[in-house]
Amino acid sequence: MAAELTSVQLNPESHYILEQPLLRLPQELARRNFKTVQRVVEREKEYVIPALLDAANGSITRTQTPDQTLAALDAMIARMQGLKRKMEGLQEEERRIQDQSRKRIQHLQALDQIPSLADVKYDQWSRVRLDRLLVDHMLRSGHAESAKQLATEREIEDLVDIGVFTQCQRIVKSLRQGDTKDALQWCGENKAALKKSQHNLEFELRLQQYIEMVRSPDQSKKLEAILHARKYLIPYRDAQGREVMKAAGLLVYTQRTRTSFPPERWTYLSSLFVKTHHELLSLPSQPLLHIALSGGLSALKTPLCHSAYSSPSSNSQSTNTSVCPICSTELNELARKMPYAHHSKSYVEPDAIVLPNGRVYGKARLLEISKNLGAVDEGKVKDPTTGQVYDESEMKKVYIM
Amino acid sequence: MATPTPMEALQKEHERLLKRLKGAQSLKHVQSTIDLLQSARDTIAADPGQTVLTMAKLQNPIKSSFDSVNDNLKEVHSGLNKYTKALDKSAFCPLQLFKDRPLPSTNDHDALSEQDTLINRAIAMHLLREGQFSVAASFLSEISERKSLQSDPETSTTDPMASSPGSANNILDEVPSSEIRKEFASMYYILHEMKENNNLLPAIEWSRENREALEARGSNLEFELCRLQFVWIFHGKSHDQSIRNREDAIAYARREFQGFMPRYLREVQQLIGAMAFCPNLRGSPYASIFNNISAWDDVAQFFTREFCSLLGLSADSPLYVATTAGAIALPTLLKLQTIMKAKRTEWTSENELPVEISLPPSYLFHSIFVCPVSKEQATDENPPMMMPCGHVIAEESLRRLGKGNRFKCPYCPSESHPRDARKIFL
Repeated sequence: MAAELTSVQLNPESHYILEQPLLRLPQELARRNFKTVQRVVEREKEYVIPALLDAANGSITRTQTPDQTLAALDAMIARMQGLKRKMEGLQEEERRIQDQSRKRIQHLQALDQIPSLADVKYDQWSRVRLDRLLVDHMLRSGHAESAKQLATEREIEDLVDIGVFTQCQRIVKSLRQGDTKDALQWCGENKAALKKSQHNLEFELRLQQYIEMVRSPDQSKKLEAILHARKYLIPYRDAQGREVMKAAGLLVYTQRTRTSFPPERWTYLSSLFVKTHHELLSLPSQPLLHIALSGGLSALKTPLCHSAYSSPSSNSQSTNTSVCPICSTELNELARKMPYAHHSKSYVEPDAIVLPNGRVYGKARLLEISKNLGAVDEGKVKDPTTGQVYDESEMKKVYIM
Repeated sequence: MATPTPMEALQKEHERLLKRLKGAQSLKHVQSTIDLLQSARDTIAADPGQTVLTMAKLQNPIKSSFDSVNDNLKEVHSGLNKYTKALDKSAFCPLQLFKDRPLPSTNDHDALSEQDTLINRAIAMHLLREGQFSVAASFLSEISERKSLQSDPETSTTDPMASSPGSANNILDEVPSSEIRKEFASMYYILHEMKENNNLLPAIEWSRENREALEARGSNLEFELCRLQFVWIFHGKSHDQSIRNREDAIAYARREFQGFMPRYLREVQQLIGAMAFCPNLRGSPYASIFNNISAWDDVAQFFTREFCSLLGLSADSPLYVATTAGAIALPTLLKLQTIMKAKRTEWTSENELPVEISLPPSYLFHSIFVCPVSKEQATDENPPMMMPCGHVIAEESLRRLGKGNRFKCPYCPSESHPRDARKIFL
C-alpha cells in the first residue's frame, strides 16, 4: 500500500527536468534583448556626446555658424528620436517576453497544487504538456503551419516558442537553397555569443561562399574568391589551417571542388547552423518529445507487447479494460527496439486461474466475460483470447508468487 | 505551506523583476535628453547670440542624462541576473546530460531520431483521435510536401544523419487518414450527442451495428446503453417522474429488452421491479441505478474504450500515456544515466532497463510474471511454466532446478518432473 502511495505521489520538481527550455529560452531572449538596448544606447552616446562637444567648441572658436550648430543639434535630435523609437520597440518586446515567462511560471506552479499523479488535474496538465511537446517537435522538423495551428487551437501560444523556431527554420531553408546571406546575418547579430561557441559556423559559411566563387565558371569570380579568402578566411589561418590550405589548393585544382567540398556540404551547414543556434539558446539538441517518449516507451513496455502469443489485452477480441498503449498501432513499431521495463514483482489479476489451454485469467473477470458473451451455456466459460469454450470445472487455480 | 516551493520562490523573483522593469526610467531619460536638445535648439534659433552659452551649458546635462539611462540599464541588468540565478537554483536540472547520450535505449544513439516516420505517424493518429482534424490535415499535408522535397537529393531533414533513404515515403499510406478520420469523426459525433444532448440513440445504433464484434469481446455495451436509455426515458426530460414517463419506459423495455432476455435477466428484472417503487425510488434498493450522477460519463468512457478497441487502438492516446509515463520516469532514468556514465558501463541486459520505474498502477496494462527463482521476467524464449502443484516458475529455472529429474517445488513440498510442467500464457 505504501509503495502504491509513493508511486502516485506527484513531485513537481522532478517534472522540471523536461521543462528546462520552457523558462530558459525566454530568459535567454530577455538577456539578448537587453544587450541590444545597451548596444543602441551606447552607440548614440558615442555619437551625441562628441558631436555636442564639437558643436560647442565650434561655436566658441566661431568656426561654426549658429546655423551649423542648429543643423548639428537637429541631427542629434533626430538620432535621439531614433533611439527612443528603437527602445520603445525593444521595451515592447521585453514586455512580451516577460509576460510569457510569467505565464510559463504559472503553468509550472499549477503542479504544486496537484497532489497525485492520479488526479484529473494532472491529466489535464499533462495533456497541455503533450501539446507543447508536439508543437516543439513540429517546429523543429519544420512543420510550422501545423505547429501554429495546434498552438492556436489549444491556446498555448505563450507556452511555445514559435518565433524562435520559425526564424531558425527560415535560415535552415535558405541554407538548403544554397544561400548564406541569412545565416551570416544571424552570425553578425550573435557575434559576441558565437565567440564562446566551439563551432565555427561563420568560418564554414565564409568557406562555402569561397567554394561557390571558385566553382563558378565565370573567371572573374576567381579574383573575387582570392579577395574573399584574404578578407574572411586568412584570419582563421591558425585555428583552421588545414581547411584554409585545402581551400587555397582549389584555386589550382578547380575540378576538385566536387570531391573535396561536395554539394552535400550545404546540408552539413544547415545542420551545423541548427546545432549552433540551439546551443546558443540553450535548447536541447533533440525534440523534447523524443526524450519523454523514449523514456515512456521503455517504462511501459513489457515482454508481452511484442510477444508472438497475442496477449489478452493487446487483442481487440479480448475484453481487458483497455488496449496497452505500446501494443496499440501507433507506438508498437516505435517501441520494438526499446528495452522493456524492469519489474521485480509479478503482477497478475486477483484469484488467477488457468484454463486447459494454458491461458491465465482472473476468475471473477472470466466468469463475467463469459456471462456477457453470447452463446455460452450455463456452467461454461469462454476464453476471450482464443474463443475456446470450457467447463467451469476445468478452471484450475494457479499460484503466481 | 510554510516553506515556499521552488516554483513559488522563482515566481516571487520574477515578480520582483517585473516590478523593476515596470519602474524602468530609461525611456524617460532619453526623452529628457531630447527635450534638452530641443530647448537648446529653440533658444539658439530664437537668439543666435546665445549659441555659445547654450551649447556650453548643454554639455553636462546631456552627459548626466545618458548616465541616468545607463544607471537604469544597470538596474535592469542586475534584476535579470538575479532572476537567472533563481532559475539556476530552482532545481532546473540542465538537459546537457542528454546531449552526449540521450536516454537509455538499445541503440547507441537517440533511438527515436531515426524513426521520424513512425513518430510522425503516431502524431498524426494522435491528432485524429483527439478530434484535431484540421491540425492533422495540415500536418499530413506538410509532411507530404516535405516528402516531395525529399525526393530531391539535395535536401533532407533537419539532421542529415537521421533521414534514412525512403523513410518518409510511405507515411501517407501508413496513416489511413481519411478512414481513421471518418471513424473518429463518427465517434465524436456519437459522444457529442451523448454528452451534450443526452441522446443515446446514435451510440445504441453503433453498438447494434457492431454487435457481433462487441459480443466476441464479451462487451455488454449495448445493454449498458439501453439500460441508461430506459432510465433516461423514465426520468423524462424534466425529471418529473410522471406516470407518462413510466409508461414510456415500460413500453421501451417491452420493445427493446427482448433480445437481452436470457443473458441480462437479472438486470432487466431489477429495472422493471424498480417501477413498483415509483414514485419513491430514492428509498428503494434500486436507487443507485436510477440516481447515478456519473452514469453518463461512465457510459461515455465505456463507449470510447469499446470504440477504440474495435479499431485495435487503446482508449487513451498512446502518445499521451507514453509521454506522461516518460515524464514520470525521467528522474530515475536520468539518475541511472549519470551512474552509467560515471561507471562507464553498459546495460547489463540490453533488452531490459536495469532499474525499476514506479508508475501509478493505472499504467500497468499487462500481467507481469517475474520468476520467483531467477527474478527474471518471462519472455517468449523463457516462458512461465506451471508445475502440477500450481506454482509457476520460468522455464530456465525449471530446467536448472530439475536437471531432467524429479525435483521439489521451491514453494511447497510436492515433487514433480520437469516434463509435467505446462507452459502458461499470461
